[in-house]
Amino acid sequence: MEYMPEFSVLKPTTTAEAARMLNDQNGARILAGGTDLLVNIRRGIEAPQTLIDISAIDDVTGIACEQDGTIRIGSGVTLNTLVKNPSLPEAIVQAAAEIAAKSHQNMATVGGNLCLDTRCVYYNQSEWWRNANAYCLKSRGEICHVAPKSKICFAAFSGDLAPALLVHHADIEILGPDGIRSCQLDDLYNDDGADHLRLQKNEMLTAVILPASQNHISGYGKARVRNSIDFPLAGVAVRLSRDGDTLSSLDIALTGVSACPVRLSGTDQVCGQVFGMETLDRLSHLLPKQIQPMTSTMTPPGYRRKVANNLMRNLVERLFAG
Amino acid sequence: MTAAVKPASMVGRPAPLIDGVEKVTGVAKYTADLDATGALVGRIYRSPYQHAEIISVNIDEALKLPGVIAVITGDECDIPFGILPIAQNEYPLSRDKVRYRGEPVAAVAAVDEKTAEHALSLITMTVNELDAYDHPDQALKKNAAQLFDDRPGNLEREVHHEFGDVSAGMKDADLIQKGHYDCGEVTHMHMEPHAALAEYDVERDRITLQSVTQVPFYVHLRVAQCLKLDTSKVRVIKPYIGGGFGARTETLNFEIIACLLARAAGGKVRMKLSREETFLTHRGRPHTVVDLEIGMKKDGRITACTCRVQQTGGAYGGYGIVTILYAGSLLNAIYDIPAVKYDGYRVYTNTPACGAMRGHGTVDVRYAFESLLDQMAGELKLDPFQVRRVNLLNAPTETINGLKVTSYGLPDCLDWAEKASGWKTQKNNSSQTDGKPKGKSKGLSKGLGMACSHYVSGAAKPVHWTGEPHAVINLKLDFDGGVTILTGAADIGQGSSTILAQVVGEVLGIDFSRLTVIANDSRITPKDNGSYSSRVTFMVGNAALQAAENLKSILVEAAAKRLDAYPEDIECLGEVYRVKGGQGSDLSFNDVVTEALVDTGTITVKGTFTVPREFQGGKYRGAGVGPSMAYSYSTVACEVSVDDITGKVSVEKVWAAHDCGYALNPLSVEGQVQGAVWMGLGQALSEQTRYIKGLPVTANILDYRVPTINDSPPIDVEIIESMDPNGPFGAKEASEGALAAIIPAIGNAIFNATGVRLQDPPFTPDRVLMAMEKQRPSGGAG
Repeated sequence: MEYMPEFSVLKPTTTAEAARMLNDQNGARILAGGTDLLVNIRRGIEAPQTLIDISAIDDVTGIACEQDGTIRIGSGVTLNTLVKNPSLPEAIVQAAAEIAAKSHQNMATVGGNLCLDTRCVYYNQSEWWRNANAYCLKSRGEICHVAPKSKICFAAFSGDLAPALLVHHADIEILGPDGIRSCQLDDLYNDDGADHLRLQKNEMLTAVILPASQNHISGYGKARVRNSIDFPLAGVAVRLSRDGDTLSSLDIALTGVSACPVRLSGTDQVCGQVFGMETLDRLSHLLPKQIQPMTSTMTPPGYRRKVANNLMRNLVERLFAG
Repeated sequence: MTAAVKPASMVGRPAPLIDGVEKVTGVAKYTADLDATGALVGRIYRSPYQHAEIISVNIDEALKLPGVIAVITGDECDIPFGILPIAQNEYPLSRDKVRYRGEPVAAVAAVDEKTAEHALSLITMTVNELDAYDHPDQALKKNAAQLFDDRPGNLEREVHHEFGDVSAGMKDADLIQKGHYDCGEVTHMHMEPHAALAEYDVERDRITLQSVTQVPFYVHLRVAQCLKLDTSKVRVIKPYIGGGFGARTETLNFEIIACLLARAAGGKVRMKLSREETFLTHRGRPHTVVDLEIGMKKDGRITACTCRVQQTGGAYGGYGIVTILYAGSLLNAIYDIPAVKYDGYRVYTNTPACGAMRGHGTVDVRYAFESLLDQMAGELKLDPFQVRRVNLLNAPTETINGLKVTSYGLPDCLDWAEKASGWKTQKNNSSQTDGKPKGKSKGLSKGLGMACSHYVSGAAKPVHWTGEPHAVINLKLDFDGGVTILTGAADIGQGSSTILAQVVGEVLGIDFSRLTVIANDSRITPKDNGSYSSRVTFMVGNAALQAAENLKSILVEAAAKRLDAYPEDIECLGEVYRVKGGQGSDLSFNDVVTEALVDTGTITVKGTFTVPREFQGGKYRGAGVGPSMAYSYSTVACEVSVDDITGKVSVEKVWAAHDCGYALNPLSVEGQVQGAVWMGLGQALSEQTRYIKGLPVTANILDYRVPTINDSPPIDVEIIESMDPNGPFGAKEASEGALAAIIPAIGNAIFNATGVRLQDPPFTPDRVLMAMEKQRPSGGAG
């Protein structure tokens, strides 16, 4: 058996208590569902001394629909709860339903998936393995094995929820020692596989706020080898609204193809024009420069590029057709 | 006088496995569940170097750590081991060299897991690194570093066989086609990670090993050999096993290491290997490149075949020679092929050693063969079923390479699969397509494919040629009226113990509740060669049949004596014995037993089975691999849908017909066939081990992609019974044969759906999508 190092577990009942613990305890990590964190601890990738279990905090486990149509989702809401919620946009429900497998979804949370560690074939390995390979730029080593001449890390962001929330222009709330700060979800991420979250060690994500949707329709497509468990080789979320035979709005975001989730820029260029094959071709033209799949997986980057494009085109076309 | 009823048949009916309740309720104890009171934690220090000469292994710091009871290195054992007597080139702990990353170099026994882990981190080694190879192309190069001084060119074995006149056959052909198939390495992924519990009795200099083995007998010999102990001082017990599939058909390094550690520590040691370590222990199906050429007449008859196979064997010998031999020998015994030329190469590389895996050696070659047949059928505008039908054997017969086919249910398998899949109505009658996907809806192309396969029912020649019978069964019957079946046959989940109970129960006709099976304790049960090459039902079943007949005649004699009649006049009705014709009284089974015990006491009988010499194959080098007393046959058809957006292949439905001779237990036959098909499906769709400079990238269950239930189709199984003349009640094997067929069936179905023929399994979405793009680059999806 791989030896699981020792740690203590604290179980606060309020976010304020959790924030305090996070601030006071050295080397503490938030434990939500633990479906990723515990694997990384067992492998020696992480070695927190304290885990702060947020499962007993009511503040973060609810979904509230406000009068103005905004939806507030606590960071501790399980994926399963998202899947079962009929008031949520389709892309979010679909993305949640395709994360890992049913048993993970019962435990995994919104916050956990948004803050998911980046992944790489050279990083997600046991201590013995990484030691034999002289570790890597992301953790304890000097070289990025994916791009040895690079000074930055190319571990891929692999959470499915982020793109689905990005296309809905979600905001987030972050609790720290000085209180709550709000920002756009986009601002949570950095394009650096070794440091992809703009979150201090003593901060925790507490909520996701979805602005009211107008006549938008959305969807999520995920490419992976198996029909469950696997992380995305590429994931695409699309949200659009249509006015007759033109697009009145179009948001596209992707995961699995860079060190952070990617909001495709330039989609406004195809809005207000008659929708057709040319629309899709223009989107296909925009995509390649904005994503950068590397050999962080054993599946060739060329495929991940291709399938991201295929998923994007298919989703846009399908959603436009209604 | 009671109306005596003939007992219900014990065979040929679906029966739950006799240990099913224990397994499902969690009562069953697997090796890691066994009582480990007083056991030290055993851990292995593994080489981070891929290929290196060892200068020193430094264990001093580890020894100083409080709570560390023993630390051992290669100095502890200078006797190499290996499953084949002619290829024993592995040490339990490395001595002069390490040959793959992950190779055991040292081992620690400590009071708890934390201490053991800490001790490992204090062990270091100094080495002189050598060139290392992941791929045979590198290992075969002229000046490549040699893994073994006595294996020049990094070749474990070359095989060159030719039977019949191949060049005449090719000249006679109307069509000759060739194919190049590069099949990824796969591994067993048995659900239970490796574990061993070893206890050394210091006073008596004896060792007891409980382990996950499929072959307790071979483990017994190797442990004795490596510990330099007399075999009488070794005891091997096999608890419940969570799957084997061939991974555990040879003594594994950690099993010997656990014993060495237990002796060094003077006590009990438990080793529980992680999933990653289980992947490193490996012994899977090698990466195999098949170059195949077939000559065929216009009507589909095969005139000749040449086949070149190269297997990437990994760093140690293991079963390697047998694997490269099976690849060639089982080109025959399924179709009537008049001429075959086979050249096989087993290459050493600096990766974990491969071994035997369900379908041993035959799977990748069968995949190539059935794919090429399909391709050629298309070219000749023949239906794939028709091509198989014009090449059928006429059993009983002997093949050009000396294999004897005694029963042959392939024609019935073909008929059923063709009908059940709706082959004729659902698809074009040729596997050729105009490249346009059929049944296209929502970006999904659907297609049907089929293929056949076969496998041995036990290797006719045992691994160790000792002159002993191939199988021995003991039965014990005593005052309590219970019959105990003692067997060394390893039940690894395939249900062998259940089959033996059914066979004995059928002969004796007694209540099933009287039967108990005790399996695999070398102090108590008779030796059995083990659960590999699907030998147990056939060989041990036959031994059980003989033992039960022996016991029955003792009981009949006793009844005759008691009833004052001749034995030939006694009618045995299981729980009742009486004189034929129904005059006189009935004797209950217990009364018969009481009579039988008079003067002799406890009754113990034996039954044996030996494969007759004439089935053991020819005299040429390598002839010992391939011969069997009986072959199973399978036809598998499947429907796939291919998503042209992602390239993902979904298998919608599988129809599998399997000729197992006779289904002693149709429920377990169905389960085994489904399991075989499902395992092959994993190899076809998503499983492949990958290495980067010898480091295993897929050594976990996330990255080594075994299909989940969401990837698994319904599998309809049809049992075909050709009633083998030599199998127990006609039975042949049921666990391995169907695996090989599903892989080409899927490949052929993908071709039918998309017009794209993929050569190299697994057919992962990236390979499928890229191949579809290449075929029609202007495809709609962009």
